[in-house]
Amino acid sequence: MDDKFDCIIVGGGIAGLSAALTLAKNNMKFLLVERGEFSGAKNVSGGVLWGSRLADLVPDYWMQDAGFERYVRHRRLTFLDEQSAFSIDFKSDHFNEQPYKGLIVLRSKFDNWLAGKVEEAIAESSFPEDSFIAPNILVDKILMEGGRATGIKTGEEEFHANCVIIAEGVNNLLTRQVGLQSDYVPADYMATGVKEIIRFDQSVLEDRFQLDGNSGLTNEFIGYASDGIEGGGFLYTNKDTISIGLVLNLKSMRENMSQDKKIYDVLTHFKSHSAVKDMLRGGEVVEYSAHVVSTGDERALPKELYTDGVLLAGEAANLLLNSGKAIQGMDYAMESGILAAESVIEAKEKNDFSKTTLSSYRKKLDASYVMKDLRSFQSAVQFLHSEEMFTSVPKVVNEFGRSFFTVDNKPTAKTPAMLKDAVSKHSSLWNMIKLGIKGARSL
Amino acid sequence: MKKMSIAERLGTVSYVNQGLQEAKPHILVETDICNTRCDHKCTTYVCPANCYTLDEIGNVHFQFEDCIECGTCMYACDKGAVSWSYPDPETGRGVKWNFG
Repeated sequence: MDDKFDCIIVGGGIAGLSAALTLAKNNMKFLLVERGEFSGAKNVSGGVLWGSRLADLVPDYWMQDAGFERYVRHRRLTFLDEQSAFSIDFKSDHFNEQPYKGLIVLRSKFDNWLAGKVEEAIAESSFPEDSFIAPNILVDKILMEGGRATGIKTGEEEFHANCVIIAEGVNNLLTRQVGLQSDYVPADYMATGVKEIIRFDQSVLEDRFQLDGNSGLTNEFIGYASDGIEGGGFLYTNKDTISIGLVLNLKSMRENMSQDKKIYDVLTHFKSHSAVKDMLRGGEVVEYSAHVVSTGDERALPKELYTDGVLLAGEAANLLLNSGKAIQGMDYAMESGILAAESVIEAKEKNDFSKTTLSSYRKKLDASYVMKDLRSFQSAVQFLHSEEMFTSVPKVVNEFGRSFFTVDNKPTAKTPAMLKDAVSKHSSLWNMIKLGIKGARSL
Repeated sequence: MKKMSIAERLGTVSYVNQGLQEAKPHILVETDICNTRCDHKCTTYVCPANCYTLDEIGNVHFQFEDCIECGTCMYACDKGAVSWSYPDPETGRGVKWNFG
């Protein structure tokens, strides 16, 4: 074995594994190290892997026992007030087409499955003996020589490479160590996701959520769900479990929660809504989990996504977007992992791993949907974070819903009058017009 | 569904080195800073694993054993009291998700 790898990848999540798969297919020699007992052991997501890129990495993955739970066929956005739930609901056969455009996943299983695909690709490559996935390994630090990354130090051992892809996730201690992000990252653009996995009898789950075969439902919630904290709720159907949880802004939690209202109390509050309770009846909580997630505000991005011998991929670089349409983190991880690997392959061809050559990663990412969307939906990110969105708007929507859908034996008001009444009860017409304009511009 | 306490919730979590007597911590908290310089002590209500608690006189205490490595305290603390540094996986604690 050569004593130097073309690349060392730190982190066996979706970004790291997507990079590894790309490197293996291009006959590169690499070492992927993972801190957990296996890929996925430390990873948490909501979670939906949006888009169809997986089909490029693992062709026809849906033909095999792939690592996903269900594909997204049915989507629902629900506004909650204390008593009511008003949903926008879309279900389409169009979503049955392969490759699927959204996969509901559980990371402990999905990442492990994807790691298996990397192992297969290594075995089929020109250097089956020279590339490795190594779990249970902590990277103490990135080795730097003259401002350039040359490998990693783990315990007493050192491993050397032409470059390092840091795909360590949002708690990016190594990214900070190499100076691409400040040591202190403020809470403003960060959130915590907290969730439960609730198990059902599979036929109960399928009947309750009207699932057919391996089709699935994604349901997001705003309003009552987050109990006045900036953020929202989610519910995704897995095979025989559901993932239900909240994503709450960290700064808003710091300012608005207390000893009487801790983060997990808000989850209990969300689950206590009668419309949510109806969905959970008879289920058993089999795992409670939480993880920090960035919010998609570009002010959270690291100073740069590369330096001499280093590339950042996925949440280590805070690549995530919550535009209101979907929370996209895992597809950004996959895309950035692939693009980082492509830049490494080009650098190997040139035998130049300097900042100048690796800047091609930035160019690729800027030209991809990742940075394009991240930039063009910044106003949407801020729009979603307006206080009205998680306080007055869900109340207005449900107030209107209540009047509109109530039929009683007395004269009925016309719809515009109902709307006006709902608005004036919970907000003001002027506020709603301002918000409407902001929303129309941002989406 | 019946309401679950945080202890019951954490009871569903699998940890590594669960039997290890003296596991090495991966988070160091200077609670002196919390108790003298912090007006919100927010870790005691934002930590999803309730690793940060207040005693009867309002002082912050920290234990890492229940930590699920989510990262919340790393960002929530704005006083510089919290620092993360993972020990060797053989000697530390931390989660092993069954679902994730």
